[in-house]
Amino acid sequence: MLIAGLVVAAILGPLYVRRNTINPTAARYGIGSAVAVLGAAVTPLAMGQCSFAEHSSGVDKLLGYLLMFGGAWLALMGARIFWDRADGKKKGDAAFAGEIRAGGFRLGLWVPWVLLSPTLIILLVFLYFPAAATFTLSTKLTRLGAPKSIDVCFTNFTELLITDPFKLVAYPLIAIALIYGARFWKSRSEPGSASRKGAEVAAVIAMLSVFVALYAMFSPGGGGQVAYRPVYINTVIISVGIVAFGMIGGLAVAYLAFRQIRGGGVYRTLLIWPYAISPAVAGVLFFMIFDPTAGIFTHTMDVWFGIDVPNYRESAVLAQSSIILASGWKILGYNILFYLAGLQTVPLEQIEAALIEGASTWQRFTKVVLPALSPITFFLLITNLTYAFFEVYATIDFMTKGAPAGKTSVAIYEIIRVGVNNGDLGRGAAQSVLLFIAVIAITMWQFRTSGERVSYGGS
Amino acid sequence: MKYRLLALLAVIALVAAACSSSSDDETATTVASGGETATTVVSGGETATTVASGGDTATTVASAASGEVTDIDFWVAFTDYRQEYSEEKAAAFNAAHPEYNVKITSFASYNDVFDAAVLAVDSGEPPALIHFFEAATRQALDAVDSSGAPIFKSVTEAIGGRTEIVGEPVVLDSVIDAARNYYTVDGSFYSMPWNTSTTVMFNNMDILNEAGITEPPATWADVTAACEAIAALPDAPSGCITWPNHSWFVEQSLGQQGELLANNDNGRTGRADEVFLESDGLINYLEWWKGLSDAGYYTYTGQQRDWGGTSNAYLAGEVAMLVYSSSDTTFFDRETEGLFTNQASFMPRNEAVDYVGNLIGGATIWMLDGLDQVTEDGALAFANFFSNPENAAEWHQLTGYEPITKDSITLLEGEGWYDESPNSQVASDQLAAAADTPASLGALLGNFVAIRDVITLAIEDILVNDLDVATRMADANAEANKSLTEYELLNAG
Amino acid sequence: MAGLNPGVQRKGFFHGRKWPYHIALTVTALVIAFPLLYAALISTQTNAEIFTFQLTPGSALRDHFQIVWFDRGLSSAMWNSLQQAIYVTTGKTVLSLLAGLAFVYFKFPFKWFIFFFVLVTLMMPTEVMILAMFRQVSGYGWQDTMTALVVPFLASATGAFLFRQHFANLPADLLEAAQIDGASPIKFLTKILIPLSWNVIAAMFVIQFVYTWNMFLWPSLIIRDDSRQVVQVALQTLTNIDGSLNYGPLMLAAILASIPPAIVFVLMQKPFMSGFAVGQNK
Repeated sequence: MLIAGLVVAAILGPLYVRRNTINPTAARYGIGSAVAVLGAAVTPLAMGQCSFAEHSSGVDKLLGYLLMFGGAWLALMGARIFWDRADGKKKGDAAFAGEIRAGGFRLGLWVPWVLLSPTLIILLVFLYFPAAATFTLSTKLTRLGAPKSIDVCFTNFTELLITDPFKLVAYPLIAIALIYGARFWKSRSEPGSASRKGAEVAAVIAMLSVFVALYAMFSPGGGGQVAYRPVYINTVIISVGIVAFGMIGGLAVAYLAFRQIRGGGVYRTLLIWPYAISPAVAGVLFFMIFDPTAGIFTHTMDVWFGIDVPNYRESAVLAQSSIILASGWKILGYNILFYLAGLQTVPLEQIEAALIEGASTWQRFTKVVLPALSPITFFLLITNLTYAFFEVYATIDFMTKGAPAGKTSVAIYEIIRVGVNNGDLGRGAAQSVLLFIAVIAITMWQFRTSGERVSYGGS
Repeated sequence: MKYRLLALLAVIALVAAACSSSSDDETATTVASGGETATTVVSGGETATTVASGGDTATTVASAASGEVTDIDFWVAFTDYRQEYSEEKAAAFNAAHPEYNVKITSFASYNDVFDAAVLAVDSGEPPALIHFFEAATRQALDAVDSSGAPIFKSVTEAIGGRTEIVGEPVVLDSVIDAARNYYTVDGSFYSMPWNTSTTVMFNNMDILNEAGITEPPATWADVTAACEAIAALPDAPSGCITWPNHSWFVEQSLGQQGELLANNDNGRTGRADEVFLESDGLINYLEWWKGLSDAGYYTYTGQQRDWGGTSNAYLAGEVAMLVYSSSDTTFFDRETEGLFTNQASFMPRNEAVDYVGNLIGGATIWMLDGLDQVTEDGALAFANFFSNPENAAEWHQLTGYEPITKDSITLLEGEGWYDESPNSQVASDQLAAAADTPASLGALLGNFVAIRDVITLAIEDILVNDLDVATRMADANAEANKSLTEYELLNAG
Repeated sequence: MAGLNPGVQRKGFFHGRKWPYHIALTVTALVIAFPLLYAALISTQTNAEIFTFQLTPGSALRDHFQIVWFDRGLSSAMWNSLQQAIYVTTGKTVLSLLAGLAFVYFKFPFKWFIFFFVLVTLMMPTEVMILAMFRQVSGYGWQDTMTALVVPFLASATGAFLFRQHFANLPADLLEAAQIDGASPIKFLTKILIPLSWNVIAAMFVIQFVYTWNMFLWPSLIIRDDSRQVVQVALQTLTNIDGSLNYGPLMLAAILASIPPAIVFVLMQKPFMSGFAVGQNK
C-alpha cells in the first residue's frame, strides 16, 4: 500500500515539474521525482505506517494517502522556490519588493539577524513549536495529568468524519468539479450576457457546495463516532451571523454618520466605542439583558407585548441569535470605524454623475458606493471572520456555555470543552487541527484575492 | 501625536497608581488614600467617597520568637466569603503557631486547583495542601508526578495514630459517618474532609400553604401533586420547582433508590470500569424530571450546573421549591427573611422503591507527598485545626455545610443552634437516615468529571429537545463508558 | 490616502435638511449604548430591586463597589491586566520596530526565507494551538506568572509587517542622509524613523492594548491563582457573590473593566485611524 503511494508520488513529481517550472531539465525531473517520494514518505514513516496497518479502516488509509500527497506537494513547492530563484524569478522577493532599497546599511551580516532574532525566536518557540506539537498530540490518546499516552494514528480525526471512504472522496470532488465548472462557464460567456449572469449564479452555488460537502463529510454521531456535524453547523451559523450582522449594521450606521454635520466627531465616538469592549464584557452585558429571571428583554416582551419569551438558553434559535447579537454589537464599532474611513474615499465625481443621471439613492449606493468600498469590505470580512472564530469564545462562555445541548458550542468552544474541561488533549488537538486547516484556507483565499495585505486579526 | 501618547501614558500611570495602591488594601494599610485615588480616577467621582472598611482579614504573621517560619501553602477552590473564612482561620492558626505561616491561595474551581497543583509538582514548587472535590477522588488517587510516584499522601498514614500534632488535637476519628464512609478508600482516609453537604429541598411555604399544602412534599408523587395545586392558583408563579442540572442530583437519586452508578460496588471493592447510565433508577428519575418539565412545573435555567440561576429563580418567587445543596442553608435563611417562609426538607424520593440513602458531596483537603517532616506536621496540624469542634461548628453556621465532626455537632446541640435554626438540622438528619451501602456512598470513578458532563449534557438534550429518555441515555452510556475505558487504559496499573 | 482620515471631511456631498440625521444618529448612538446604560442602572441595584424591574437607580452602588473593588480584588485583577497590556504593547512595538528596520534597511542572505517564515505565522493564531501551548508553557513552570501572559505575545507578524510597510513608504533618501552622518542603525531608528512613525506606533498601541486587555482564553488556562488573574477572567468568578448570582456587582465590574481600553481608544482614535491608513494602502 505504502509502495503504491510512493510509486504514484514518483510519477507525479515529474508531472509537477513539467507544469510548474520555467526550465524543466532532465535533472529536475529526476530530482522532482525523488523529492516527491521523500515528501510522501515522511508522514507514513514518522507515524510507523499506522494508517496502512491491517486493521485500519478505509478512512484511515484515505487520510494516509492524503498526507502522503500533501507531503509530496509541500516538498515539490519547496524545490520549486529554489528552482524559481535559480531561474531569476525571485518569487519570495517579489512579495516584498517594496522595501528592496538601494544599498541599505552596509554593516556586518549579523546586524539584521540581531534585530530580527527576538521576533524570530518568539515566533519559533511560541508559534511553530506548539503548532507542530498540536499535530503530534492529535495522533495520541492522552489526558491532562495521566501517566501514559497511547498512539492512536488518525482515530481522533476519523471519529469526526463519516465512515464511508467513497463518500469522503466523492463529496469534495463534486464541490471542486462545480467550482471549476462554474469557472469554465464564466470563461466562455460574454461579459454582460445572460450566460455570464448564469455563470455568476453557478459560481455562488459552487462556493456554497463546499459548505454542503463539508457538512456531509462530518459525522452526525452515533456508532462510536463523535457528533462533529452539529459543531460545524453551529460554527457556520454563528460565524456567518456575526459577520453579516456586524458588517451590514456597520455599513448602515457608517453611511448614516459619515455626512458632515455639526458634532460629527462626537457622534462618531459615540458609535464606535464598543470596539474597546471585550468579548467577555459583551457576554456579561447581554447575559444581563436576556436573563430569564431578571433581564429587561424577557420582562419588556411580557409586559409591553404580552409575549412570553422562552428562556433564550433553551431554544437553539434564540441562543444562537443572542450570541450573534452580542458579538455583532461588540464588533459593530470596529466595522463602523473602517466604513467611515472607507466612505471618505468614495469618488465624489461618480456620485454626482450618478445623481445627474437621475439615479435613486439606493442605486447610487449599490452602483457607486458599494463597489468603491469593496477592498475595505473584504478586509473587514477577514477580520470579522477571525473574530467570529476565536474571540466569540468568551461571549459564549458568559452567555450560554454552549447551551442548549451544545447548540452554541462552536469549534473553538468545543476544543476547550473537550481538551481542557474533559482533559482529552488528543481529541482537542485533532479538532484544533481542523480549525487550523480552516484558518489556512481562509488566509490563502485572502492572499489570493487581495495580494499581500496586512491583517489586523489581533495577535 | 507624541503628546497624545504621553498624555495617555500619564493617565495610565495614574490608573496604575490607583490600582496598585488599592490592591494593597488587602493588608489594610493605605485604605483611605488608595480608595480615594482609585475612585476619582477610574469611575469619575460618583463613588468617590467609598472608603474600604475591609482589612479585618489581614493575615499578619508574627514572626517566630525563635527559629524559622515554615510556609504552608494551602490552595483553596473558593473565591468568595468562604475564601475569607479560610484566610481568617489561617491567620488564627498562624497566631497560635508562630513557627508556621499558612498561606491561602484561592482558585476559581476545583479543577483549577488540581491542574495547578499537578503542574506545580512537576515544576518543583507544590503547595502543601489542596482542596479538591469528591467526584475526583479517584483522579486524585491516580495522580502521579513525572517519575510515576503518587502526588498525594494518605493523611491517616501521615498521622500514624498520633492524637495530637504540634499541639493540635487530631479530629479525624470524630468525622461523621457519611463523610467517613465516602472518603475511606482501602481502609484509610486519604484526605481530610472539609466542606461536606448533601442535597435538600428548600420550600417557599407561603406558596405551598396558599395551594393548601402544609408539609413540604416528600416524594416524587407529592411534588407532582403539589405542582398541580400550585399551577391552579390564580396568581401562580411561572414555575413550580427547579434544581441545577448537575449530575450530583442524579447520583443522589440513584443512592436513594439503591442503584449503582458503576460496577465493582460503585468502584469501592475494585476499580470501576463500567458505568450504568441506563439503569431503571436513572431512567425513572429522568422520566419524572422530564414529566415535570413537560408539564411546565420544572423550570430549566438553560444552563448546566447553574447554581446561581436556580437560586435566583427561587428567591425571585418564580418557583415554590428548590432542590439544592445544603451548603447554602444559611444563605437561604438569611436571604428569604422578610420575603417568605423558607423551610428545608429532605430531597424528594421515589415512592415506588424503598429508600436507601442520600450521599454526600463537597470536598476534602489533600496533602501532597514528599513534604519535609516539619511542613507535613504543620499541614496536618492545620487540617485538623481547620475542622476542630469550634471551627467546624462555625463553618456550619456560616454556610450550612455539615458540621464535619461528631464533636462539633455536640457543641452545636449544646448551644441550642438547631432549635434556633431548624433548617440546618435537615441535612444531618437526611444523612443519618441513610443506610451504609455502596449505592448510597456514591461512586469512585475515573474521568468522573467528563462522565458527569456526559450525563448533564444528555439531560439538557432531553429537556430542551424533547428526546426519549431511554434512547438518549443509551447514547450517553456508550459515550461515558468509552471515556471510562480510556481513563483506565491510561491510568490503571 | 489622506482621505482615510475621518478628520478630513469633504464638502458638497451633503444635500437636504440636517435635523433628521441628528435624530437618526442620536437614536442609533442610544441603541448602541443601551447595553452599557442598562448595565450602569443594574450596577446600582440590589437583586431585590432588580427583580421588581425598577427603572430608577438603586441604593447599592457603594456596596457593590466595595464588594468588587476591594473584597473581591477587582483592583488587583485590573492591575494585573494593566501590567500585561503595557508589557505586551511596549515589547511588541519595540520588537516590531526592530524587525521592520531589518526588513527594510538591510540586505542579507535568506531574507526571502525569513520573510516567509514570518508571513506564515499570520495563518497560525494562538487559539488553534492553545492546548499544545498550554502544555509547553506550563512545562516551563510559567503557570501563574506574568511571564506566561507576556512573553508568548511579544512578537507578531502583524506588527513587523505594519512597520515594514510604513518604512518602505518613507522617502528613500532618509537612509542616505543618515549614512552620510554615519548614524548607527539604532540611532537611525530612534532619531529619524520613530519621529516619523508616531501615527503607526499609536495605531499599534491601541490595537495591542485593546487586544491584550481583552484577552480571555489564554489567561483562563494558564493563570489559576485568583490573585494573579487578569480582569476578563476575574469577571467570571464574580458570577458568584456570597453564594449566588448577584447581578449588580457583576455589571459594575464589567463597566470598570471596560474603562481603561475605552480611555485608550477614545484618546487615540485619530492617530489610530491615520496609522491604519498605512496598512490599507500598500
